[in-house]
Amino acid sequence: MIKKHIFIIIILVSCFALSQNKQILYGFSDIPQALLLNPGGKVTNDWYFGIPLLSHIHVNVGTTGSTVYDVFANDGRDFNLKLQNAIYSMKSNDFLSINEQLEVFSGGFKIGPSYEKDKYISFGLYQEFDFIGYFPKDYAILAYEGNQSNINRVFKASDFNAKAELISVFHVGYNKKVNKNFTFGVRGKIYSSIMNANSTNNKGYFITVDGTNNFYDHIFNLDLELRTSGLTSLTGDNANSETALKDIKKRLFLGGNLGLGFDVGFTYQLNKQWMVDASLQDVGFIRHTKDVENYKVEGNYVFEGVNPLFPETGTGQTAEDYWNEIKTQFEDVFVVDTTYTKYTTWRPEKLNVSVNYTFGEKTSQECNCLIPDGGYQNAIGLQLFAVNRPRQPQLALTAYYYRRIFKGLQAKATYTLDSYTLSNIGLGVSANIGNLNFYVMADNFLEYQNVYNAQSVSLQLGFNYIFKKHED
Amino acid sequence: MFNQIFKYYIKAFLCVLVCVSCTKDVDFNQFNDLQLTPVFESSLVYIDEPANKFLVNGNETSYLQDSVNIDFFNDSFVVDHLVKAEFLLETTNSINRSFIVEVDMFDDSNQLQHRFSFSSSGSPDHSPLVTEHLEVFENDALEALKNTTKLVFTLYILPGEPINENTIGRITLKSKGSFYLKIER
Repeated sequence: MIKKHIFIIIILVSCFALSQNKQILYGFSDIPQALLLNPGGKVTNDWYFGIPLLSHIHVNVGTTGSTVYDVFANDGRDFNLKLQNAIYSMKSNDFLSINEQLEVFSGGFKIGPSYEKDKYISFGLYQEFDFIGYFPKDYAILAYEGNQSNINRVFKASDFNAKAELISVFHVGYNKKVNKNFTFGVRGKIYSSIMNANSTNNKGYFITVDGTNNFYDHIFNLDLELRTSGLTSLTGDNANSETALKDIKKRLFLGGNLGLGFDVGFTYQLNKQWMVDASLQDVGFIRHTKDVENYKVEGNYVFEGVNPLFPETGTGQTAEDYWNEIKTQFEDVFVVDTTYTKYTTWRPEKLNVSVNYTFGEKTSQECNCLIPDGGYQNAIGLQLFAVNRPRQPQLALTAYYYRRIFKGLQAKATYTLDSYTLSNIGLGVSANIGNLNFYVMADNFLEYQNVYNAQSVSLQLGFNYIFKKHED
Repeated sequence: MFNQIFKYYIKAFLCVLVCVSCTKDVDFNQFNDLQLTPVFESSLVYIDEPANKFLVNGNETSYLQDSVNIDFFNDSFVVDHLVKAEFLLETTNSINRSFIVEVDMFDDSNQLQHRFSFSSSGSPDHSPLVTEHLEVFENDALEALKNTTKLVFTLYILPGEPINENTIGRITLKSKGSFYLKIER
């Protein structure tokens, strides 16, 4: 019975994974960048600007399979044995994910009549790199063992599944506090793709089976494609580092392959202490029309060896025809076709939902009474995060505790369930020194004892200049 | 400006990383020990001929011969990483005549590099007789294989009961190669 429960939990958890998850920042309304995760979030400042290039730095690296330490530990064990263990223990659904963001500039300000400024405009430009690559298990086994010990085994072409993109995003958000309970917001985004490469829809297989005319039939049924944009001009014969840098700069400021998208979100105060919010981010696409180069391998072929004697028998075919046919069939399948077909990629949509409960009203030491509108000092809640990924959506579930430690210092601790680990504890603080705001957050604290053995590491930090009329 | 972005970025990132993390001893040079030893098998050639194929214009011929040009064994990847190869040939003969199967391997300048042959006994009662031959390529023979760009197959028919249009039986040949690779850094 216990075994069964453990099994169910493992299955459940293996579907969970965090990547691009900013569970600590989400709902942390003291930090302006929380509005990027939910444009309909609560706004606590009158205006702000991010310190250029330093306002938001985010890095997340995660792997569900073997860690760097598993393979490269300096422990005297045979490297090839460790590699073998890694190859055999990983599944084709295991992945490596890297997400990085750097805000170039950002700002925001309240608008509306002076007696009730209930609207907030925010804007900015950030650069993002995103990579996900699944473990190409069948390719690894084929390279590691060959086909001799794998007769009748299907090697799936779909095991190769990876995408990488480098983009910049220009965005403008609108946030409106409709009444004291309900706030909503939208954010429009213009994406400029600097580089893109993806191969996420591969199909087909390779298999060796017992043949009729010969020992084996080798069956190739392949439909593989790698699509790229923004790479050829940088890696081509005419490219040099100077022009490449110029090109990248241009693309960073809306000169790349363009796309459009939006975020939406809301916050709803159920009563004085309960609050729910939700947001949908990056519903959008990028149209790749410039500097596109795609590579395709497609075809069916069954190879049973060749018949060197009298191949023309019976069919009226000459020996030359026979050889040409084999050659053509081989080339049809294995020669890589280069195409320049424009394509569209969809941004990985992200969903955040949270339920929050605040408690512990602030009392004044002077009068030993509740400060009106002083707010609560603590919050706890549950957050669900989902991101759309090539193979399956990835989910993460977070429980958190938030605390205003004293004026100008807030902290949030999180516990997240994901496929990397069951003990993902995160911690974030936001501190204000005068109008200067600094925040830093990281998760998987227990794994920092040995970063190489970490299944995932996530870091965010930044500096803002924040102006508030009513400090609490 | 782009340089600056990276400069700031890397500095900040390193600061934080150094502040909060430690590492245990890892050695990325171990990658130089990487060694893969896959074994690939592939069908090679096959033959399936009835007895009367040995009649040319009604007269019995003493052999059938044809060649295959092949650019696989001298491919640089194969030359660098192939450490051993085996050819398994299997004949099934139901003709009441014995055969010699001979394989001659030539390089680009048509120099004979390697030759092997085996006999396949005749079947007086026309029941299929299976004969196997395993040719192992190691050392000098392996080098010869890596020079090979042309294979010549010859099927010699040995003296015996004359063949005519009504002679019963056929001879088939199946073959496969096993290629032992060793891929190292």
